[in-house]
Amino acid sequence: MAREKKYREPVNWKRELRLAPGYLILLLWITFTFVLLGWVLLASFSTTKEIFSNKLLASGLHFENYVKAWINSDVAGIFRNSLIYSIISCSLLIIICAPAAYVLARFIFPGNKLIQTGFVSAMGVPVVMIVLPLFGIVASMGILNNVMSNAVLLIFLYIGINVPYTTIFLMTFFSNLSRAFEEAAAIDGCPPTKTFWLIMLPMAQPGIITVTIFNFINIWNEYFISLIFANSDKLRPIAVGLYSMINSMKYTGDWAGMFAAVVIVFLPTFILYIFLSEKIIAGVTGGGVKG
Amino acid sequence: MKRNKGMIILFLTPAVFMFSVIFLYPIIRTVIMSFFKIDGITDPVARWQFTGLANFVKLANTSLFRISMWNLLRIWLFGGIIVMSLALLFAVIITSGIRFKSFFRAVIYLPNIVSAVALATMWLQYVYSPKFGLLKTMFTKLGLTDLAKIQWLDNDHKFAALLLAYCFGMVGYHMLIFASGIERISSDYFEAATLDGANKFNQFRYITLPLLKGVFKTNITMWSVTSVGFFVWSQLFSTVTADTQTITPMVYMYMQIFGAGNSITERNSGLGAAIGVLLSVCVVTVFWICNHLLKDDDLEF
Repeated sequence: MAREKKYREPVNWKRELRLAPGYLILLLWITFTFVLLGWVLLASFSTTKEIFSNKLLASGLHFENYVKAWINSDVAGIFRNSLIYSIISCSLLIIICAPAAYVLARFIFPGNKLIQTGFVSAMGVPVVMIVLPLFGIVASMGILNNVMSNAVLLIFLYIGINVPYTTIFLMTFFSNLSRAFEEAAAIDGCPPTKTFWLIMLPMAQPGIITVTIFNFINIWNEYFISLIFANSDKLRPIAVGLYSMINSMKYTGDWAGMFAAVVIVFLPTFILYIFLSEKIIAGVTGGGVKG
Repeated sequence: MKRNKGMIILFLTPAVFMFSVIFLYPIIRTVIMSFFKIDGITDPVARWQFTGLANFVKLANTSLFRISMWNLLRIWLFGGIIVMSLALLFAVIITSGIRFKSFFRAVIYLPNIVSAVALATMWLQYVYSPKFGLLKTMFTKLGLTDLAKIQWLDNDHKFAALLLAYCFGMVGYHMLIFASGIERISSDYFEAATLDGANKFNQFRYITLPLLKGVFKTNITMWSVTSVGFFVWSQLFSTVTADTQTITPMVYMYMQIFGAGNSITERNSGLGAAIGVLLSVCVVTVFWICNHLLKDDDLEF
Protein backbone atom coordinates (compact mmCIF):
# COMPACT_ATOMS: atom_id res chain seq x y z
CA MET A 1 0.00 0.00 0.00
CA ALA A 2 2.88 2.32 0.72
CA ARG A 3 4.34 1.81 -2.72
CA GLU A 4 2.36 4.51 -4.54
CA LYS A 5 3.54 5.53 -7.97
CA LYS A 6 5.54 8.71 -7.66
CA TYR A 7 5.35 9.85 -11.30
CA ARG A 8 2.21 11.06 -13.03
CA GLU A 9 1.06 8.97 -15.91
CA PRO A 10 -0.07 10.87 -18.98
CA VAL A 11 -3.83 10.85 -19.39
CA ASN A 12 -4.82 7.88 -21.49
CA TRP A 13 -8.35 8.74 -22.53
CA LYS A 14 -9.25 5.31 -23.81
CA ARG A 15 -8.29 3.80 -20.50
CA GLU A 16 -10.08 6.48 -18.49
CA LEU A 17 -13.23 5.92 -20.55
CA ARG A 18 -13.19 2.24 -19.68
CA LEU A 19 -13.03 3.20 -16.03
CA ALA A 20 -15.87 5.73 -16.38
CA PRO A 21 -18.55 3.62 -14.64
CA GLY A 22 -16.22 3.25 -11.69
CA TYR A 23 -15.63 7.00 -11.50
CA LEU A 24 -19.36 7.59 -11.71
CA ILE A 25 -20.22 5.27 -8.82
CA LEU A 26 -17.51 6.72 -6.59
CA LEU A 27 -18.48 10.28 -7.50
CA LEU A 28 -22.11 9.65 -6.59
CA TRP A 29 -21.12 8.25 -3.22
CA ILE A 30 -18.70 10.99 -2.28
CA THR A 31 -21.07 13.67 -3.56
CA PHE A 32 -23.59 12.38 -1.07
CA THR A 33 -20.96 12.44 1.69
CA PHE A 34 -20.07 16.02 0.86
CA VAL A 35 -23.70 17.14 0.67
CA LEU A 36 -24.36 15.55 4.06
CA LEU A 37 -21.39 17.10 5.82
CA GLY A 38 -21.52 20.37 3.88
CA TRP A 39 -25.19 20.94 4.59
CA VAL A 40 -24.68 20.36 8.30
CA LEU A 41 -21.76 22.78 8.27
CA LEU A 42 -23.80 25.47 6.49
CA ALA A 43 -26.80 24.82 8.73
CA SER A 44 -24.62 25.37 11.79
CA PHE A 45 -24.00 28.93 10.57
CA SER A 46 -27.66 29.65 9.74
CA THR A 47 -30.66 30.44 11.89
CA THR A 48 -33.21 27.78 12.79
CA LYS A 49 -35.79 29.66 10.72
CA GLU A 50 -33.56 29.52 7.65
CA ILE A 51 -33.00 25.80 8.15
CA PHE A 52 -36.74 25.17 8.15
CA SER A 53 -37.37 27.30 5.07
CA ASN A 54 -34.42 25.66 3.26
CA LYS A 55 -32.62 28.98 2.73
CA LEU A 56 -29.30 28.34 4.41
CA LEU A 57 -27.09 31.34 5.13
CA ALA A 58 -29.74 33.77 3.80
CA SER A 59 -28.80 36.32 6.46
CA GLY A 60 -25.06 35.72 6.48
CA LEU A 61 -22.92 33.76 8.89
CA HIS A 62 -24.25 33.30 12.40
CA PHE A 63 -21.29 32.54 14.61
CA GLU A 64 -23.48 33.01 17.64
CA ASN A 65 -24.72 29.42 17.22
CA TYR A 66 -21.24 28.28 18.15
CA VAL A 67 -20.95 30.74 21.01
CA LYS A 68 -24.30 29.57 22.35
CA ALA A 69 -23.41 25.90 22.04
CA TRP A 70 -19.92 26.36 23.45
CA ILE A 71 -20.94 28.42 26.46
CA ASN A 72 -24.68 28.03 27.18
CA SER A 73 -24.94 24.32 26.45
CA ASP A 74 -21.46 23.80 27.88
CA VAL A 75 -19.93 22.03 24.90
CA ALA A 76 -16.75 23.56 26.28
CA GLY A 77 -17.02 21.34 29.36
CA ILE A 78 -17.55 18.03 27.57
CA PHE A 79 -14.93 19.01 25.00
CA ARG A 80 -12.38 19.62 27.75
CA ASN A 81 -13.29 16.33 29.45
CA SER A 82 -12.80 14.32 26.28
CA LEU A 83 -9.56 16.09 25.49
CA ILE A 84 -8.16 15.29 28.95
CA TYR A 85 -9.34 11.66 28.81
CA SER A 86 -7.96 11.10 25.32
CA ILE A 87 -4.57 12.70 25.87
CA ILE A 88 -3.85 10.98 29.20
CA SER A 89 -5.14 7.59 28.00
CA CYS A 90 -3.23 7.74 24.71
CA SER A 91 0.07 8.57 26.42
CA LEU A 92 -0.31 5.92 29.10
CA LEU A 93 -1.33 3.36 26.49
CA ILE A 94 2.01 3.77 24.73
CA ILE A 95 3.96 3.57 27.99
CA ILE A 96 2.10 0.37 28.94
CA CYS A 97 1.84 -1.32 25.55
CA ALA A 98 5.09 -0.50 23.75
CA PRO A 99 7.34 -2.43 26.19
CA ALA A 100 4.95 -5.39 26.21
CA ALA A 101 4.72 -5.35 22.42
CA TYR A 102 8.51 -5.26 22.12
CA VAL A 103 9.00 -8.20 24.46
CA LEU A 104 6.28 -10.21 22.69
CA ALA A 105 7.83 -9.49 19.30
CA ARG A 106 11.46 -10.17 20.23
CA PHE A 107 11.77 -12.80 22.94
CA ILE A 108 10.82 -16.45 23.02
CA PHE A 109 9.46 -17.45 26.41
CA PRO A 110 6.72 -19.71 27.75
CA GLY A 111 3.33 -18.00 27.53
CA ASN A 112 4.27 -15.67 24.67
CA LYS A 113 1.86 -17.27 22.20
CA LEU A 114 -0.81 -17.52 24.90
CA ILE A 115 -0.65 -13.82 25.67
CA GLN A 116 -0.81 -12.98 21.99
CA THR A 117 -3.83 -15.22 21.46
CA GLY A 118 -5.50 -13.69 24.51
CA PHE A 119 -4.97 -10.17 23.24
CA VAL A 120 -6.16 -10.98 19.72
CA SER A 121 -9.30 -12.68 21.06
CA ALA A 122 -9.97 -9.74 23.37
CA MET A 123 -10.35 -7.52 20.31
CA GLY A 124 -13.42 -9.53 19.34
CA VAL A 125 -15.05 -9.65 22.75
CA PRO A 126 -18.38 -7.80 22.86
CA VAL A 127 -18.33 -5.07 25.47
CA VAL A 128 -21.42 -6.59 27.18
CA MET A 129 -19.20 -9.42 28.32
CA ILE A 130 -17.13 -7.15 30.53
CA VAL A 131 -19.30 -4.27 31.78
CA LEU A 132 -21.39 -6.10 34.39
CA PRO A 133 -18.60 -7.44 36.63
CA LEU A 134 -16.64 -4.20 36.21
CA PHE A 135 -19.67 -2.17 37.21
CA GLY A 136 -20.29 -4.47 40.16
CA ILE A 137 -16.75 -4.09 41.49
CA VAL A 138 -16.64 -0.37 40.87
CA ALA A 139 -20.02 0.34 42.44
CA SER A 140 -19.34 -1.71 45.56
CA MET A 141 -16.00 0.04 46.03
CA GLY A 142 -17.81 3.40 46.00
CA ILE A 143 -15.61 4.74 43.20
CA LEU A 144 -18.58 6.31 41.40
CA ASN A 145 -19.48 8.55 44.33
CA ASN A 146 -16.40 10.70 44.07
CA VAL A 147 -15.78 12.87 41.00
CA MET A 148 -12.02 12.50 41.10
CA SER A 149 -11.92 8.72 41.49
CA ASN A 150 -14.64 8.39 38.87
CA ALA A 151 -12.53 10.37 36.39
CA VAL A 152 -9.50 8.18 37.14
CA LEU A 153 -11.70 5.12 36.66
CA LEU A 154 -12.86 6.33 33.23
CA ILE A 155 -9.27 6.82 32.10
CA PHE A 156 -8.35 3.40 33.50
CA LEU A 157 -11.18 1.82 31.49
CA TYR A 158 -10.32 3.69 28.28
CA ILE A 159 -6.76 2.44 28.64
CA GLY A 160 -7.81 -1.11 29.49
CA ILE A 161 -10.14 -1.65 26.55
CA ASN A 162 -7.50 -0.39 24.12
CA VAL A 163 -4.55 -2.36 25.52
CA PRO A 164 -5.00 -5.49 23.36
CA TYR A 165 -5.32 -3.59 20.09
CA THR A 166 -2.43 -1.22 20.83
CA THR A 167 -0.13 -4.04 21.92
CA ILE A 168 -0.84 -6.25 18.91
CA PHE A 169 -0.47 -3.33 16.51
CA LEU A 170 2.90 -2.28 17.96
CA MET A 171 4.01 -5.90 18.12
CA THR A 172 3.64 -6.28 14.35
CA PHE A 173 5.57 -3.05 13.99
CA PHE A 174 8.45 -4.12 16.24
CA SER A 175 8.79 -7.51 14.58
CA ASN A 176 9.36 -5.74 11.27
CA LEU A 177 12.31 -3.76 12.65
CA SER A 178 15.76 -5.17 11.97
CA ARG A 179 17.59 -6.97 14.78
CA ALA A 180 20.89 -5.45 13.67
CA PHE A 181 20.35 -2.41 15.88
CA GLU A 182 20.00 -4.45 19.03
CA GLU A 183 22.97 -6.61 18.13
CA ALA A 184 25.11 -3.53 17.58
CA ALA A 185 23.93 -2.05 20.87
CA ALA A 186 24.63 -5.33 22.70
CA ILE A 187 28.19 -5.45 21.30
CA ASP A 188 28.72 -1.91 22.55
CA GLY A 189 27.60 -3.08 25.97
CA CYS A 190 24.17 -1.46 26.13
CA PRO A 191 21.78 -3.41 28.40
CA PRO A 192 18.57 -4.62 26.66
CA THR A 193 16.26 -2.39 28.71
CA LYS A 194 18.25 0.68 27.79
CA THR A 195 18.41 -0.47 24.16
CA PHE A 196 14.63 -0.53 24.09
CA TRP A 197 14.04 2.94 25.50
CA LEU A 198 16.88 4.70 23.68
CA ILE A 199 16.99 2.89 20.33
CA MET A 200 13.97 0.72 19.57
CA LEU A 201 11.20 2.95 20.93
CA PRO A 202 12.29 6.00 18.93
CA MET A 203 12.55 3.80 15.85
CA ALA A 204 8.96 2.66 16.32
CA GLN A 205 7.76 6.25 16.15
CA PRO A 206 5.74 5.89 12.91
CA GLY A 207 3.84 2.94 14.39
CA ILE A 208 3.33 4.77 17.66
CA ILE A 209 1.90 7.79 15.86
CA THR A 210 -0.53 5.67 13.83
CA VAL A 211 -1.79 3.67 16.77
CA THR A 212 -2.13 6.83 18.86
CA ILE A 213 -4.32 8.47 16.22
CA PHE A 214 -6.52 5.39 16.30
CA ASN A 215 -6.69 5.35 20.07
CA PHE A 216 -7.46 9.06 20.10
CA ILE A 217 -10.35 8.66 17.65
CA ASN A 218 -11.64 5.61 19.53
CA ILE A 219 -11.55 7.27 22.92
CA TRP A 220 -12.90 10.56 21.57
CA ASN A 221 -15.91 8.77 20.09
CA GLU A 222 -16.35 6.23 22.91
CA TYR A 223 -19.96 6.04 24.06
CA PHE A 224 -21.14 2.92 25.86
CA ILE A 225 -18.50 2.70 28.60
CA SER A 226 -18.81 6.41 29.34
CA LEU A 227 -22.59 6.20 29.44
CA ILE A 228 -22.44 3.56 32.14
CA PHE A 229 -19.43 4.65 34.16
CA ALA A 230 -19.55 8.46 34.05
CA ASN A 231 -21.76 9.03 37.05
CA SER A 232 -21.73 12.82 37.11
CA ASP A 233 -22.68 15.38 34.47
CA LYS A 234 -19.36 17.07 35.08
CA LEU A 235 -17.50 13.98 33.87
CA ARG A 236 -19.39 13.32 30.67
CA PRO A 237 -17.23 12.97 27.58
CA ILE A 238 -18.22 14.46 24.27
CA ALA A 239 -20.30 11.63 22.78
CA VAL A 240 -22.53 11.20 25.82
CA GLY A 241 -22.76 14.94 26.35
CA LEU A 242 -23.75 15.49 22.74
CA TYR A 243 -26.46 12.87 23.04
CA SER A 244 -28.18 14.55 25.96
CA MET A 245 -27.67 17.95 24.38
CA ILE A 246 -29.36 16.83 21.17
CA ASN A 247 -32.27 15.52 23.19
CA SER A 248 -32.76 18.82 24.97
CA MET A 249 -32.25 20.91 21.84
CA LYS A 250 -35.01 18.99 20.08
CA TYR A 251 -37.38 20.31 22.71
CA THR A 252 -36.07 23.87 22.77
CA GLY A 253 -36.21 23.87 18.97
CA ASP A 254 -32.69 25.21 18.54
CA TRP A 255 -31.73 23.29 15.41
CA ALA A 256 -28.95 25.68 14.44
CA GLY A 257 -27.35 25.28 17.86
CA MET A 258 -27.65 21.52 17.61
CA PHE A 259 -25.86 21.41 14.26
CA ALA A 260 -23.17 23.71 15.67
CA ALA A 261 -22.66 21.25 18.54
CA VAL A 262 -22.44 18.37 16.04
CA VAL A 263 -19.77 20.24 14.07
CA ILE A 264 -17.75 21.00 17.20
CA VAL A 265 -17.77 17.31 18.17
CA PHE A 266 -16.83 16.25 14.68
CA LEU A 267 -14.09 18.84 14.16
CA PRO A 268 -11.09 17.46 16.13
CA THR A 269 -11.16 14.02 14.52
CA PHE A 270 -11.85 15.61 11.14
CA ILE A 271 -8.84 17.92 11.38
CA LEU A 272 -6.65 14.99 12.40
CA TYR A 273 -8.01 13.09 9.43
CA ILE A 274 -7.30 15.84 6.91
CA PHE A 275 -3.63 15.88 7.84
CA LEU A 276 -3.12 12.21 8.60
CA SER A 277 -5.62 10.29 6.46
CA GLU A 278 -2.89 8.32 4.66
CA LYS A 279 -1.43 7.21 7.99
CA ILE A 280 -4.85 6.31 9.33
CA ILE A 281 -5.80 4.32 6.25
CA ALA A 282 -2.48 2.48 6.27
CA GLY A 283 -3.10 1.72 9.94
CA VAL A 284 -6.50 0.10 9.33
CA THR A 285 -4.95 -2.56 7.17
CA GLY A 286 -1.42 -2.51 8.55
CA GLY A 287 -1.64 -4.36 11.81
CA GLY A 288 -4.06 -5.34 14.44
CA VAL A 289 -6.78 -6.63 12.17
CA LYS A 290 -6.56 -10.36 12.10
CA GLY A 291 -9.13 -12.89 10.99
CA MET B 1 17.51 -15.52 27.41
CA LYS B 2 18.01 -16.07 31.14
CA ARG B 3 19.35 -12.61 31.84
CA ASN B 4 16.42 -11.06 30.00
CA LYS B 5 13.92 -12.67 32.36
CA GLY B 6 13.67 -9.62 34.57
CA MET B 7 13.11 -7.37 31.60
CA ILE B 8 10.44 -9.63 30.09
CA ILE B 9 8.47 -9.69 33.35
CA LEU B 10 8.89 -5.97 33.95
CA PHE B 11 7.82 -5.04 30.42
CA LEU B 12 4.84 -7.40 30.27
CA THR B 13 3.34 -6.89 33.71
CA PRO B 14 1.45 -3.61 33.16
CA ALA B 15 -0.20 -4.74 29.92
CA VAL B 16 -1.03 -8.22 31.19
CA PHE B 17 -2.39 -6.72 34.41
CA MET B 18 -4.72 -4.37 32.47
CA PHE B 19 -5.78 -7.27 30.24
CA SER B 20 -6.58 -9.46 33.24
CA VAL B 21 -8.54 -6.76 35.07
CA ILE B 22 -10.51 -5.46 32.07
CA PHE B 23 -10.96 -8.62 30.02
CA LEU B 24 -9.98 -11.92 31.59
CA TYR B 25 -11.57 -11.63 35.02
CA PRO B 26 -14.80 -9.91 33.87
CA ILE B 27 -15.33 -12.42 31.05
CA ILE B 28 -15.01 -15.39 33.39
CA ARG B 29 -17.25 -13.73 35.95
CA THR B 30 -19.88 -12.87 33.32
CA VAL B 31 -20.01 -16.49 32.19
CA ILE B 32 -20.51 -17.62 35.80
CA MET B 33 -23.07 -14.88 36.48
CA SER B 34 -25.21 -16.02 33.57
CA PHE B 35 -26.10 -19.18 35.55
CA PHE B 36 -27.20 -17.31 38.65
CA LYS B 37 -30.09 -15.12 39.72
CA ILE B 38 -28.56 -11.92 41.06
CA ASP B 39 -30.89 -9.26 42.45
CA GLY B 40 -28.44 -6.40 42.72
CA ILE B 41 -25.36 -5.98 40.59
CA THR B 42 -23.23 -5.23 43.67
CA ASP B 43 -24.44 -8.29 45.58
CA PRO B 44 -21.67 -10.49 47.01
CA VAL B 45 -21.33 -13.96 45.51
CA ALA B 46 -22.83 -15.47 48.68
CA ARG B 47 -26.23 -14.00 47.81
CA TRP B 48 -26.32 -15.29 44.24
CA GLN B 49 -28.82 -18.07 43.63
CA PHE B 50 -27.79 -20.80 41.23
CA THR B 51 -30.56 -21.30 38.69
CA GLY B 52 -28.81 -23.24 35.94
CA LEU B 53 -30.08 -22.30 32.51
CA ALA B 54 -33.12 -20.44 33.85
CA ASN B 55 -31.78 -17.08 32.67
CA PHE B 56 -31.43 -18.31 29.11
CA VAL B 57 -34.89 -19.90 29.18
CA LYS B 58 -36.35 -16.69 30.51
CA LEU B 59 -34.70 -14.66 27.76
CA ALA B 60 -36.04 -17.05 25.15
CA ASN B 61 -39.53 -16.54 26.57
CA THR B 62 -39.32 -12.74 26.71
CA SER B 63 -40.91 -11.38 23.57
CA LEU B 64 -39.06 -8.06 23.75
CA PHE B 65 -35.73 -9.87 23.87
CA ARG B 66 -36.76 -12.12 20.98
CA ILE B 67 -37.61 -9.00 18.99
CA SER B 68 -34.24 -7.51 19.83
CA MET B 69 -32.45 -10.66 18.62
CA TRP B 70 -34.54 -10.61 15.46
CA ASN B 71 -33.55 -6.99 14.85
CA LEU B 72 -29.91 -7.87 15.40
CA LEU B 73 -30.19 -10.72 12.91
CA ARG B 74 -31.77 -8.40 10.35
CA ILE B 75 -29.05 -5.81 10.88
CA TRP B 76 -26.33 -8.43 10.62
CA LEU B 77 -27.73 -10.16 7.55
CA PHE B 78 -29.21 -7.35 5.44
CA GLY B 79 -26.71 -4.78 6.61
CA GLY B 80 -23.94 -7.29 6.01
CA ILE B 81 -25.06 -7.98 2.46
CA ILE B 82 -25.37 -4.25 1.67
CA VAL B 83 -22.08 -3.28 3.31
CA MET B 84 -20.06 -6.18 1.91
CA SER B 85 -21.32 -5.73 -1.65
CA LEU B 86 -20.74 -1.97 -1.63
CA ALA B 87 -17.37 -2.36 0.09
CA LEU B 88 -16.23 -4.98 -2.43
CA LEU B 89 -17.50 -2.91 -5.35
CA PHE B 90 -15.69 0.20 -4.14
CA ALA B 91 -12.54 -1.79 -3.38
CA VAL B 92 -12.50 -3.20 -6.92
CA ILE B 93 -13.01 0.27 -8.43
CA ILE B 94 -10.39 1.85 -6.16
CA THR B 95 -7.78 -0.75 -7.12
CA SER B 96 -8.63 -0.73 -10.84
CA GLY B 97 -6.06 1.98 -11.54
CA ILE B 98 -8.27 5.04 -11.34
CA ARG B 99 -6.93 8.52 -10.71
CA PHE B 100 -7.28 10.33 -7.37
CA LYS B 101 -7.33 6.94 -5.66
CA SER B 102 -6.14 8.27 -2.30
CA PHE B 103 -8.72 11.03 -2.36
CA PHE B 104 -11.64 8.69 -3.10
CA ARG B 105 -10.43 6.23 -0.51
CA ALA B 106 -10.06 8.93 2.12
CA VAL B 107 -13.55 10.33 1.56
CA ILE B 108 -15.22 6.93 1.62
CA TYR B 109 -13.50 6.10 4.89
CA LEU B 110 -14.30 9.51 6.39
CA PRO B 111 -17.62 8.57 8.12
CA ASN B 112 -15.73 6.01 10.21
CA ILE B 113 -13.83 8.67 12.11
CA VAL B 114 -16.95 10.67 12.95
CA SER B 115 -18.58 10.09 16.32
CA ALA B 116 -21.56 7.79 15.83
CA VAL B 117 -23.71 10.21 17.81
CA ALA B 118 -22.81 13.07 15.45
CA LEU B 119 -23.26 10.95 12.32
CA ALA B 120 -26.60 9.56 13.44
CA THR B 121 -27.77 13.08 14.27
CA MET B 122 -26.88 14.26 10.79
CA TRP B 123 -29.00 11.48 9.29
CA LEU B 124 -31.86 11.87 11.71
CA GLN B 125 -32.12 15.63 11.75
CA TYR B 126 -31.13 16.33 8.16
CA VAL B 127 -31.41 13.43 5.68
CA TYR B 128 -34.66 12.03 7.10
CA SER B 129 -36.18 15.29 8.29
CA PRO B 130 -39.82 15.54 7.19
CA LYS B 131 -39.52 19.34 6.84
CA PHE B 132 -36.17 20.19 5.29
CA GLY B 133 -34.70 16.72 4.78
CA LEU B 134 -32.33 15.81 1.98
CA LEU B 135 -34.52 12.94 0.79
CA LYS B 136 -37.64 15.08 0.81
CA THR B 137 -35.98 17.95 -1.07
CA MET B 138 -34.39 15.60 -3.57
CA PHE B 139 -37.55 13.65 -4.34
CA THR B 140 -39.61 16.85 -4.58
CA LYS B 141 -37.13 18.31 -7.09
CA LEU B 142 -37.27 15.10 -9.11
CA GLY B 143 -41.07 15.28 -9.10
CA LEU B 144 -41.46 12.03 -7.18
CA THR B 145 -44.08 13.38 -4.80
CA ASP B 146 -45.05 9.95 -3.49
CA LEU B 147 -41.50 9.23 -2.38
CA ALA B 148 -41.13 12.74 -0.99
CA LYS B 149 -44.14 12.18 1.24
CA ILE B 150 -42.61 9.16 3.00
CA GLN B 151 -42.13 9.71 6.72
CA TRP B 152 -38.77 7.98 7.05
CA LEU B 153 -38.87 7.91 10.82
CA ASP B 154 -42.35 6.46 11.32
CA ASN B 155 -42.70 2.89 12.52
CA ASP B 156 -42.92 1.37 9.04
CA HIS B 157 -39.74 2.91 7.72
CA LYS B 158 -37.66 3.42 10.83
CA PHE B 159 -35.77 0.15 10.64
CA ALA B 160 -34.83 0.66 6.99
CA ALA B 161 -33.80 4.23 7.74
CA LEU B 162 -31.63 3.06 10.64
CA LEU B 163 -30.03 0.32 8.58
CA LEU B 164 -29.27 2.61 5.65
CA ALA B 165 -27.65 5.25 7.84
CA TYR B 166 -25.60 2.64 9.70
CA CYS B 167 -24.41 0.97 6.50
CA PHE B 168 -23.30 4.31 5.07
CA GLY B 169 -20.91 4.68 7.97
CA MET B 170 -19.58 1.13 7.84
CA VAL B 171 -18.74 0.74 4.14
CA GLY B 172 -15.43 2.61 4.31
CA TYR B 173 -13.79 0.34 6.86
CA HIS B 174 -14.64 -2.88 5.06
CA MET B 175 -13.67 -1.34 1.72
CA LEU B 176 -10.17 -0.68 3.06
CA ILE B 177 -9.78 -4.29 4.14
CA PHE B 178 -11.00 -5.60 0.77
CA ALA B 179 -8.77 -3.13 -1.10
CA SER B 180 -5.65 -4.14 0.79
CA GLY B 181 -6.50 -7.78 0.09
CA ILE B 182 -6.86 -7.11 -3.63
CA GLU B 183 -3.60 -5.17 -3.70
CA ARG B 184 -1.77 -8.11 -2.19
CA ILE B 185 -2.69 -10.27 -5.19
CA SER B 186 0.24 -10.28 -7.58
CA SER B 187 -0.45 -8.55 -10.89
CA ASP B 188 1.22 -11.51 -12.65
CA TYR B 189 -2.00 -13.48 -12.32
CA PHE B 190 -4.00 -10.80 -14.06
CA GLU B 191 -1.40 -10.34 -16.78
CA ALA B 192 -1.31 -14.06 -17.47
CA ALA B 193 -5.11 -14.18 -17.54
CA THR B 194 -5.26 -11.21 -19.91
CA LEU B 195 -2.80 -12.92 -22.25
CA ASP B 196 -4.98 -16.02 -22.17
CA GLY B 197 -7.92 -13.86 -23.16
CA ALA B 198 -9.90 -13.74 -19.92
CA ASN B 199 -12.06 -10.63 -19.62
CA LYS B 200 -12.24 -8.39 -16.56
CA PHE B 201 -15.32 -10.05 -15.16
CA ASN B 202 -13.88 -13.54 -15.43
CA GLN B 203 -10.64 -12.36 -13.89
CA PHE B 204 -12.62 -11.04 -10.95
CA ARG B 205 -14.70 -14.20 -10.68
CA TYR B 206 -11.86 -16.72 -11.01
CA ILE B 207 -8.83 -14.89 -9.61
CA THR B 208 -9.82 -12.07 -7.27
CA LEU B 209 -12.74 -13.71 -5.46
CA PRO B 210 -11.05 -17.04 -4.65
CA LEU B 211 -7.92 -15.27 -3.44
CA LEU B 212 -10.01 -12.99 -1.23
CA LYS B 213 -11.37 -15.83 0.92
CA GLY B 214 -9.23 -14.93 3.89
CA VAL B 215 -10.16 -11.27 3.55
CA PHE B 216 -13.84 -12.18 3.48
CA LYS B 217 -13.30 -14.08 6.69
CA THR B 218 -11.73 -11.06 8.35
CA ASN B 219 -14.48 -8.79 7.10
CA ILE B 220 -17.34 -11.03 8.19
CA THR B 221 -15.79 -11.53 11.61
CA MET B 222 -15.26 -7.81 12.12
CA TRP B 223 -18.78 -7.10 10.87
CA SER B 224 -20.23 -9.59 13.35
CA VAL B 225 -18.23 -8.16 16.22
CA THR B 226 -19.42 -4.61 15.50
CA SER B 227 -23.02 -5.71 14.85
CA VAL B 228 -23.25 -7.45 18.19
CA GLY B 229 -22.30 -4.19 19.90
CA PHE B 230 -25.04 -2.30 18.06
CA PHE B 231 -26.16 0.32 20.56
CA VAL B 232 -25.67 4.03 19.85
CA TRP B 233 -27.56 4.06 16.56
CA SER B 234 -30.45 2.23 18.07
CA GLN B 235 -30.59 4.57 21.04
CA LEU B 236 -30.60 7.62 18.79
CA PHE B 237 -33.23 6.29 16.42
CA SER B 238 -35.69 5.24 19.10
CA THR B 239 -38.19 7.72 20.46
CA VAL B 240 -39.43 5.58 23.33
CA THR B 241 -37.40 3.43 25.73
CA ALA B 242 -38.42 0.09 24.28
CA ASP B 243 -38.89 0.75 20.58
CA THR B 244 -39.65 -2.60 18.96
CA GLN B 245 -38.38 -1.39 15.58
CA THR B 246 -34.90 -0.52 16.72
CA ILE B 247 -34.23 -2.41 19.95
CA THR B 248 -31.12 -4.60 19.97
CA PRO B 249 -29.83 -7.00 22.65
CA MET B 250 -27.35 -4.41 23.90
CA VAL B 251 -30.13 -1.86 24.34
CA TYR B 252 -32.27 -4.47 26.08
CA MET B 253 -29.39 -5.33 28.39
CA TYR B 254 -28.81 -1.65 29.14
CA MET B 255 -32.49 -1.14 29.97
CA GLN B 256 -32.56 -4.26 32.06
CA ILE B 257 -29.54 -3.46 34.21
CA PHE B 258 -28.87 0.26 34.09
CA GLY B 259 -31.99 1.94 32.76
CA ALA B 260 -35.16 2.93 34.51
CA GLY B 261 -37.36 1.67 31.70
CA ASN B 262 -40.94 0.99 32.72
CA SER B 263 -41.07 -2.19 30.65
CA ILE B 264 -38.74 -3.94 33.05
CA THR B 265 -40.41 -5.58 35.98
CA GLU B 266 -37.64 -7.60 37.50
CA ARG B 267 -34.01 -6.74 38.08
CA ASN B 268 -31.64 -9.61 37.57
CA SER B 269 -28.02 -9.04 36.62
CA GLY B 270 -27.77 -12.70 35.71
CA LEU B 271 -30.06 -12.00 32.74
CA GLY B 272 -27.71 -9.26 31.54
CA ALA B 273 -24.78 -11.65 31.80
CA ALA B 274 -26.74 -14.29 29.89
CA ILE B 275 -27.27 -11.78 27.06
CA GLY B 276 -23.52 -11.18 26.94
CA VAL B 277 -22.84 -14.90 26.78
CA LEU B 278 -25.46 -15.41 24.05
CA LEU B 279 -23.96 -12.62 21.92
CA SER B 280 -20.46 -14.02 22.37
CA VAL B 281 -21.68 -17.45 21.34
CA CYS B 282 -23.12 -15.85 18.19
CA VAL B 283 -19.78 -14.24 17.32
CA VAL B 284 -17.84 -17.43 17.97
CA THR B 285 -20.32 -19.44 15.87
CA VAL B 286 -20.01 -17.06 12.94
CA PHE B 287 -16.23 -17.18 13.26
CA TRP B 288 -16.27 -20.98 13.38
CA ILE B 289 -18.57 -21.30 10.37
CA CYS B 290 -16.43 -18.84 8.39
CA ASN B 291 -13.30 -20.78 9.25
CA HIS B 292 -14.84 -23.99 7.95
CA LEU B 293 -16.57 -22.61 4.88
CA LEU B 294 -13.77 -20.33 3.77
CA LYS B 295 -10.69 -22.47 4.23
CA ASP B 296 -7.91 -20.57 2.53
CA ASP B 297 -4.94 -22.68 3.49
CA ASP B 298 -4.99 -24.56 0.19
CA LEU B 299 -4.29 -21.33 -1.67
CA GLU B 300 -0.84 -19.84 -1.50
CA PHE B 301 -0.14 -16.44 -2.97
